[in-house]
Amino acid sequence: MVTEEKKNVLKEVLDYLSFATDMIVERFGEKHPEWAWIYALLVDYYEEAYKAKDTGKPVAWINFGVPPELFYAMDIMPVVMDALTGSLASIGSAVKYIDLAEERVPDYICANNKTLIGAALAGDVPLPDILVQPAHPCDSNLATYPVIAEYYNIPYFCIDMLYFKTERSAPYVASELRKLVSLLEEITGKRLDLDKLKQVMQYSNQAHELILKHEVLRQAVPCPYSSLEAISEYGLVLTLAGTPQLVDYFERRYALSKDKVSRGEGHLPKEREKHRLVWIYGAPTFDMTLLMWLEKEYGAVSVANMNNNFTMQPVEDLSNLDSILMGLAEKVTLLPMTRECGGPWENWLDASMDLIKRYKADAAVFAGHVACKSNWAVIKLIKDKLHDELGIPTLVLEMDLFDPRVASTDTLKAQFDNFFNVHFKG
Amino acid sequence: MRALDELTNIASNLVNPAVEEWKQQGKKVVGFMCTYVPEEILYAANILPVRLRAPNCVETTSADVYLSHLNCTFIRSCLEFTLEDKYKFLDGLVFTNSCDHVRRLYDILREIRPTDFPLLYLISVPHKVDDDLIAWFRDELDRFKESVEKTFGVEITDASLRNAIDVYNETRSLLRQLYDLRKGKNPPLTGAEALSVIVAGFSLPKNKYNELLRQLLAELGEREGISDYRARLMIAGSGGCDNPAYLQVMEDLGGLIVTDSLCFGSRYFCEPVEIGDDPLLSLAKAYLNRPSCPRMVDNAGERSDYIRQMVNDFNVDGVVFQRIRYCDLWGGQLLHVEKEMKESSIPMLSIDREYSLGAVGQLRTRVQAFLERIER
Repeated sequence: MVTEEKKNVLKEVLDYLSFATDMIVERFGEKHPEWAWIYALLVDYYEEAYKAKDTGKPVAWINFGVPPELFYAMDIMPVVMDALTGSLASIGSAVKYIDLAEERVPDYICANNKTLIGAALAGDVPLPDILVQPAHPCDSNLATYPVIAEYYNIPYFCIDMLYFKTERSAPYVASELRKLVSLLEEITGKRLDLDKLKQVMQYSNQAHELILKHEVLRQAVPCPYSSLEAISEYGLVLTLAGTPQLVDYFERRYALSKDKVSRGEGHLPKEREKHRLVWIYGAPTFDMTLLMWLEKEYGAVSVANMNNNFTMQPVEDLSNLDSILMGLAEKVTLLPMTRECGGPWENWLDASMDLIKRYKADAAVFAGHVACKSNWAVIKLIKDKLHDELGIPTLVLEMDLFDPRVASTDTLKAQFDNFFNVHFKG
Repeated sequence: MRALDELTNIASNLVNPAVEEWKQQGKKVVGFMCTYVPEEILYAANILPVRLRAPNCVETTSADVYLSHLNCTFIRSCLEFTLEDKYKFLDGLVFTNSCDHVRRLYDILREIRPTDFPLLYLISVPHKVDDDLIAWFRDELDRFKESVEKTFGVEITDASLRNAIDVYNETRSLLRQLYDLRKGKNPPLTGAEALSVIVAGFSLPKNKYNELLRQLLAELGEREGISDYRARLMIAGSGGCDNPAYLQVMEDLGGLIVTDSLCFGSRYFCEPVEIGDDPLLSLAKAYLNRPSCPRMVDNAGERSDYIRQMVNDFNVDGVVFQRIRYCDLWGGQLLHVEKEMKESSIPMLSIDREYSLGAVGQLRTRVQAFLERIER
């Protein structure tokens, strides 16, 4: 008798990414080998996540904003929930989980959270040994993850964060990280190996330094980066920070960009790069071909976005646990999205203005995720400031980053058509 | 029922004669948003704390220029009142990072009305409780105290803080006595009346409020209890539930509301502040440890336990779990509460609503169906 294998979203994502990697290599391998790099890394990552339970490795569900370095150092597999749900959205599998979740929670809860709730309610995702989240960036995260943990009796930890970034912030968060380490030690029954953490942090710093160097190259005109990479790369950073694989990726990516920039080449030929867009928030995960359409239709390259804006410094002092945790705390409070959405609105404004200036953008796009109440609350202020102080128009889209039923790709394209007609015609 | 009439009248308006009298004496009034703001610190400075509300706000035309339709109507109503200068009598506004909507209202006011209020302040409240965080919050309260002192040129001493805590503890004790009266088979007041009593207390000097509460308790002792109800209800869920008319809709259908787990209700007063050597530390401990709102991450189970406890203590037949639409915090909590209530065989009605009373027909239909299901 053949028994049906239990559905597992990790496997679903893994299978899709493996297929996508092969397809990209086959179709674009010669011209854009780099396009497959991100996918290939994610294949390895999801394979490990999928097999973790079988190999007896403890699994942690973590949010963007939780430093994965601590988990890699403690041999715990960090499954980054936002990356997983984003991947499910990109392969069209989020919607059924969203529907399932909406039987139990209101529709205005973030689709990112609803996807995970739905997958958990369906029994389609193996539950972790611990769930860890930061207190930022939003209520929806804060409301759902502790409840999921309670619902399924999963050990839970929240890295609390302060509203304002002051001299009190890093010590506060470092103290929280210390508590997290203790809890992880308790759960795994193993002490944190400081030497291993130092090694992980060295990888993390190497990748981070390359990101900062690379960031300067990415500002070049024409942009050496494709829109797709600019938007999707941050997930990789927040998932694989502390691994040698991420260092290797950025070494290759940096070399490629450096070569392009030195030859004055861009992702699009210079004459075809007509517009430079900065996405001051996220971008649709359910259909990223929209970004390619923008390049093709309007010569509009998405040169930067809020999430791929790593401006903080690597952890300087790796000599002891306290200094490492303090450095990680400093980093965590400045992580993209945590910084822009979790604190005062000026954090978002400053980061957006800075991105637009650095990347010489001529338009901003707010992919207004309907669940992001804090961003919607101040988008008028942001839009006015970008216009008044930088002369930059902002396209405000009302949409759901994970759910195409709120605004479809065609709806979004029509709004881009209007935007370009109004602001850039002729 | 002189005291009840007076309190009900106060609750139905933003400003009342006591506030006007306070202002006429040249004293300051400071608005606050959310019950994680320790009012005692303001009271100790001889400042009248008034909880922000927007009673009778029916549209948010001006506020919606700034805020989106995806923001909760409580916050939009409060911004509307600010833009209409209805909070002009306030000398300050104090916020906490209680939720995304509240903190962004603070942000917007700093940007568009930076000079309207001499004190425009946000207290950062930890999202969980342990000894470190209590100590940190105590320090945060000290900073807030210093800011109040500096802004208004006053001194807040330990003695004045202790006195304020005493006065507020008396309020808590009197309100507990009031709620105890509702445990019986024939409660002497309706849920709408009880909410009016609570709401009035948020815009009265607490010493005067305590006098009225004592008078009310005496008067209620003489009042005939209510017996013609179909079921005993409890209201749970989100803040911004400050409109007695909302409860009145349910009570007109025969559901008698006998208790709640609201921050405009029992969660506000159920625990006294235990005064130790350091009054700020006492406040920090008490405010972080009181029955929580879902902004606190470690207490999902305790919040459901609290509802269950109230259901038992007040002999409740059914729980109305209401949320202002777009309140993620209470929306997320629904997952847990629903499961827990089901496991405890406690009937529950889950409702999204707006801040101002609307969609009354729909509300009536749903409550009517709920009452038919649970009535005795």
